[in-house]
Amino acid sequence: MAVAVGAVVALVGIAGGFERSFLAIYQRQQVDILVQQRGIKQRLTSVLDAKLGEKIARIPGVKQVNSGLVDFIALDELGPVGVLVQGWEADSPLMQALDILPGGRRLTSDDAQKLLLGERLAISLDKKVGDQLTIFDDETYTVAGIFHSPSVYENGSMVVLLRDLQRFMGRPGQVSGFAVITEHAADEDQIRRICREIESLGKNIEAVPTAEFVNSTNEIRFVHAMAWITSVVALIIGAVGMLNTMIMSVFERTREIGILRAIGWRRRRIVRMILMEAVLLSLAGGVLGALAAMALTNFLGRQPAAAGMIDPRLAPSVILLGFAIALGVGVLGAAYPAYRGARLLPTEALRHE
Amino acid sequence: MNNPTRDYYLFRTEHLSKLYPDGQVHALEDVNIAIRRGEYVAIMGPSGSGKSTLLNMLGALDRPTAGEVYFEGRPLSKIRNLDRLRSTKFGFVFQSFHLLPVLTALENVQVPMFETPLCAAERVRKARELLALVGMEHRTDHLPDKLSVGERQRVAIARALANDPIALLADEPTGNLDSLSAEGVMTLFAELHTEREMTIVLITHDEHFAQRAQRIIRMQDGRVKSDVYSERRRQRTPLPPFAV
Repeated sequence: MAVAVGAVVALVGIAGGFERSFLAIYQRQQVDILVQQRGIKQRLTSVLDAKLGEKIARIPGVKQVNSGLVDFIALDELGPVGVLVQGWEADSPLMQALDILPGGRRLTSDDAQKLLLGERLAISLDKKVGDQLTIFDDETYTVAGIFHSPSVYENGSMVVLLRDLQRFMGRPGQVSGFAVITEHAADEDQIRRICREIESLGKNIEAVPTAEFVNSTNEIRFVHAMAWITSVVALIIGAVGMLNTMIMSVFERTREIGILRAIGWRRRRIVRMILMEAVLLSLAGGVLGALAAMALTNFLGRQPAAAGMIDPRLAPSVILLGFAIALGVGVLGAAYPAYRGARLLPTEALRHE
Repeated sequence: MNNPTRDYYLFRTEHLSKLYPDGQVHALEDVNIAIRRGEYVAIMGPSGSGKSTLLNMLGALDRPTAGEVYFEGRPLSKIRNLDRLRSTKFGFVFQSFHLLPVLTALENVQVPMFETPLCAAERVRKARELLALVGMEHRTDHLPDKLSVGERQRVAIARALANDPIALLADEPTGNLDSLSAEGVMTLFAELHTEREMTIVLITHDEHFAQRAQRIIRMQDGRVKSDVYSERRRQRTPLPPFAV
């Protein structure tokens, strides 16, 4: 029972954390409009001229324009797991908003071959401020700072200056997109107007309010779908496991039910007793399962191979879901054999081996 | 007007038959017996002769294929709440004790009392009294597997007495006991019969123990082979007929 609950809570929790972390990347940036290449739903493949940023900045109502380039790179230390690299201008508000841990600092425009590591990535790579890391094939970068982010993905990512990433990717003068902060964050009409004006700057430009972008991007949709599929599979496997356990445990007690029936216990009392036991068993399974799931996700989240992919924090709603499933399935699983056992003649139940 | 046999006979069977569908075995075939209130009856017969089936029918643990069992003149097939009947009128003692292994002796004795209005303290008090009655007052907190087989059967007898039944139905209660323990159990039965005037229906293979009853019903192939007073009664006269 505890194993099944643990599996459900862990899998649903991991899937949920996956989705939550992805959303947090966008939400933390507090941008109103995201600009990228038209028809492209993934920032990774979007290509825009960096100079477009200056034109966007001149649109009335635009407060700030942040250009950025993103890519995935492989690091020998982490095997086949890709690491998200974000290229930002030194004076970008995104850079300024980073929560740098004590001992480190943000990147400045004077820095050469310096980078920032997400907290989880730093642990996985066993790097601290001042250590060196070889990236981009054979370039050695120094860790200028380590940052903490509410998103597990950002915690597993690294930040370099935009010009360094452009050079490595062979995309000088190009960015993946722009994050636009407006003076009218709460005014949807104004934001839509600015979007239209941005799109009028060129044919291949798409400007989308952040909320829409988050819901329409393929990454989020994929994560949504993954979370849903994983949760459903986990629920089915967990529920079937729990159901089987409960049915077997009550079937094994048929003889005991026969004894109770023989000495005069009413059917109702027997069914009630078994259901109460099922509730207690389910709650105990729920507690043990939730604890096991927490330990498991925590353990997995700390593994270098899973760095930046698993959020070790389980949402309370997922734990509650685990309890609800344990309780529902436990009672359901006990109800049928209890009813069946109680319906048997005492002699039939006593003969049961 | 009430049937005059109503209170005279505690149990009465009428053309009682039990056919087990698997193998078409006639466990009981046209059995007609009557047991008076306060009578001590032994049922004997070889294995498969239908002794246990008959006892189960009398105790409303099983349903006949044909015929009827009357308890205090009422047909069992017409009684809706047989659980209550078993709980309040009958005490069962089984060959293999059927104690709940996870409960102590004291708790096992209390189990039938959950069907009564007794509060927890009253249940414990009564269970202690019953364990004292069967000489088990020193083993109240022991689990069944920590008790000897004789002690287990004594606890089972205390449980059977929990709700002050008027009939004790015992299916080979000495079958798994050594001779000393068996003797103790049979002495206890005799005391319950004489001091509490309980009706006792005992299945046994032991002729010696059967002779302690007032009457011996011998069965063979699902039928009553003979139904006579025991030597204890020192009467060989046939039993008086009963109205069907």
